[in-house]
Amino acid sequence: MNAAQSLRDRDVVVRPVPARSQRRRMWDTFVGNRAAVFGLGLALAITLLAIFAPLIASQDPLAQDGARRLTPPDDVFPLGRDAFGRDVLSRILHAGRISLVIGIGSVMLGGTVGTLLGLVAGYSGGKLESLLMRAVDVLMAFPSLLLGLTVLAVLGPGLEKVILAIGLLLSPPFARVVHGATLSLKEQEFLTAARAVGAGHLRLMRLHILPNMVGEIVVLVSVWTASAIRVEASLSFIGLGISPPTPTWGNMIRDGTTHLINAPWLSIFPGVAILLTVLAFNLLGDGLRDVLDPKLQQ
Amino acid sequence: MKVRLAPMLALSMATLLVIGACTSAAPTNTGPQTGRTGGILRFGQSAADVGTLDPHFASGTQDRSLIDMVFNALIRFKPGDGTQFEPDLAASLPEPKSEGAKQAWTFTLRKGVMCQPTDGVPAYELTSDDVVYSLQKSADKNRSAYAGEYSGMTFEAIDPSTVKVTLDSPLSKALLYPKLANYSGGYIVCRKAAEKLGADGLKTHPVGTGPFTFKRYSPKEKVELVANEAYFRGKPQLDGVEFLYMPDLTSRELGLLGGQLDVANGTADIAWVEKMERNADAKVDVFGVGEVVSIHFNSRIPPLDKLPVRQAIAYALDRAEFQSLTGARVSEQVFSPVPAQFMPGGLTQQETAAKGLDYKSDRDKAKKLLADAGLANGFTLNMVTSELPSYRVVYESMQAQLAKVGIKIDLKVVDHTSMHSTIRLDTNPIVVYVAFRPNADVYLSQFFHSDAIVVTGKKPNTNFSHYASIDSLIDQARSEPDTAKQTALWKDAQTKILQDMAAYPVMFTNLVYARRKGVDYGHELKSVLALYPGIDETTRLMKK
Repeated sequence: MNAAQSLRDRDVVVRPVPARSQRRRMWDTFVGNRAAVFGLGLALAITLLAIFAPLIASQDPLAQDGARRLTPPDDVFPLGRDAFGRDVLSRILHAGRISLVIGIGSVMLGGTVGTLLGLVAGYSGGKLESLLMRAVDVLMAFPSLLLGLTVLAVLGPGLEKVILAIGLLLSPPFARVVHGATLSLKEQEFLTAARAVGAGHLRLMRLHILPNMVGEIVVLVSVWTASAIRVEASLSFIGLGISPPTPTWGNMIRDGTTHLINAPWLSIFPGVAILLTVLAFNLLGDGLRDVLDPKLQQ
Repeated sequence: MKVRLAPMLALSMATLLVIGACTSAAPTNTGPQTGRTGGILRFGQSAADVGTLDPHFASGTQDRSLIDMVFNALIRFKPGDGTQFEPDLAASLPEPKSEGAKQAWTFTLRKGVMCQPTDGVPAYELTSDDVVYSLQKSADKNRSAYAGEYSGMTFEAIDPSTVKVTLDSPLSKALLYPKLANYSGGYIVCRKAAEKLGADGLKTHPVGTGPFTFKRYSPKEKVELVANEAYFRGKPQLDGVEFLYMPDLTSRELGLLGGQLDVANGTADIAWVEKMERNADAKVDVFGVGEVVSIHFNSRIPPLDKLPVRQAIAYALDRAEFQSLTGARVSEQVFSPVPAQFMPGGLTQQETAAKGLDYKSDRDKAKKLLADAGLANGFTLNMVTSELPSYRVVYESMQAQLAKVGIKIDLKVVDHTSMHSTIRLDTNPIVVYVAFRPNADVYLSQFFHSDAIVVTGKKPNTNFSHYASIDSLIDQARSEPDTAKQTALWKDAQTKILQDMAAYPVMFTNLVYARRKGVDYGHELKSVLALYPGIDETTRLMKK
């Protein structure tokens, strides 16, 4: 046996990689990516701060004190007070709850709707596929902020309406990715085998196609969560998000612009909160993509 | 490439010193006028665009101020002092004459007043025909938003320079003069121009007799005015005015500090005033007229139909909390819908306290009243607020204060125009309104006479509370010739309003404008009904 023959033999011997070992490899890859670990840590910290905001915040975020309005940061109020004399730190912490609820809620909504659309379109093919994907194309043709504005102008402001509006914005990218992955997966031999042993359409989609694209969906979720938070901030900034007095980072920045020169902390601190949150989810998303994308692994 | 920092810094410092030396030479605005200064005054106003420049429809601050530069009236408020009248197009202030049950006022027009030229209409001398045409337009509800002010009045041209105004019911000077002065329907439009331009043309092309002539309108950007060389009080000191629409306060602020603006509308917030005053190049003017902030309760919407609930809200509110958000220098608390501080007929704090109607904040009492009304657990009200800070501050402060007694307010922020439309559709259970009116009669007639009830009134206006219990007092006071008795009737009317808690008077806020140090308005600023400092032929720009 010469060397070339030996190499060919080794090529054809496919050793199944144990699941535990694969998870280990993925974990090692993720941990080796310092930016991703930083993103995960930051995202976790922000999430915990938001969840426990009522316990951490030292002041009522809605309590006004006109006599102490626009007080700069000091020992008691480390991020200062706003134009109504409200504690900026407490408002940022509580605003984080809104931002994360909107970020996660809208991605869950948009992800679910988009995944279902993409899955059904990709699997069914034909006219239904054309119809669904053209509808997705139409939605994608609108700039996200314009579409959000239109939906909120019709529905009016409010937490659930903002989630609905942003969820609608996010469903097309999910549909496109899932559609592409479904088209690829449905040609795979394992799917033909499953079909041959009598698996129905729903079973094929639920148990054989969907689990094989979880990686892509997870990456999309983390990246679009950041986008959803950013869009919410933009909508709140132009006054179409959450109604007063509920704080959101976007409306805090907007309200601070009136005092931008003499009280810059009103806009800077919520801006930093948005920056860190978007950065955290983007770094996390990039790290997950590195771990879950087989092409990048090669 | 290696950058040598020290020489660059030295060069930069030297450049800054040279620029500083050049710019610090701007003179102040004191001292006598010596020769015409010229220059274009750039004015930043807090609006996105023109509303309408037809003076008989204009109500927004941005329109009132611009119109004031282009038009005159028979009488005018003394520049910078809205408490005194002086002749404008009329040669003198008239006295009334009785004609049976009627009352006649005869105005002799000033000679040589020229209507400004416009496309197809050359300049011509203003006559009584123009004045009568204009006043009849003001009295026509299809051509004026202020027609109600002129009902029962007829206008007649006796000769080219004499106008007779006849009133079905006599009015005192204090009530008649504002109707014919440079405010709302009193502005005189030139007939030939108005007919040539038509109703739509007048909205964006004002033609009057004032110190400045309309030159150009660039939508959502600016209106350009040029000096009216034929102005009857003499050629203006300025070459013109650029009236820029800048809704964002920070942009106006930076424009003024950066030298791109000469005058900028500020905000009634002491923090802003003090910040601007720290800048050596800027001067801030805080002056009247004070716009009164009142909270009107819609008595048609439950549970506000119950008096104890309205009283509970009044006791839950605290004027001091509202005022703390604007500052004492730019605002003052009021205790009746007509501000006693600068208008006869208003009730002072002492007067309302003596009657037990000052509604001093008492949240325990408010809770008890709510409990007695079967609303111990509070209730929720939905309403809209304008995006303008002057409104949002009041709505959001009220929201926080009422939350303390269990009343939840769900606020929806809309643009200012939408808020005005919405509240006139009778949908807001509570309406915050910020307004100046020239006298007690106008305040009471527009906000508390049954004719003025929104939607359903005979002449729907701004009676948001659906109040109809003081019509006779308002009507009686209007025709009362004795000033003391008239004032007493107005006070009685407001006592009734407070007893019924139709509206909760909060405070008045002054006008706040900032200017570059080189701007001299030409008059002291005490109060201006046109809601701006007053730019006229005497205004100078001394920055060169």
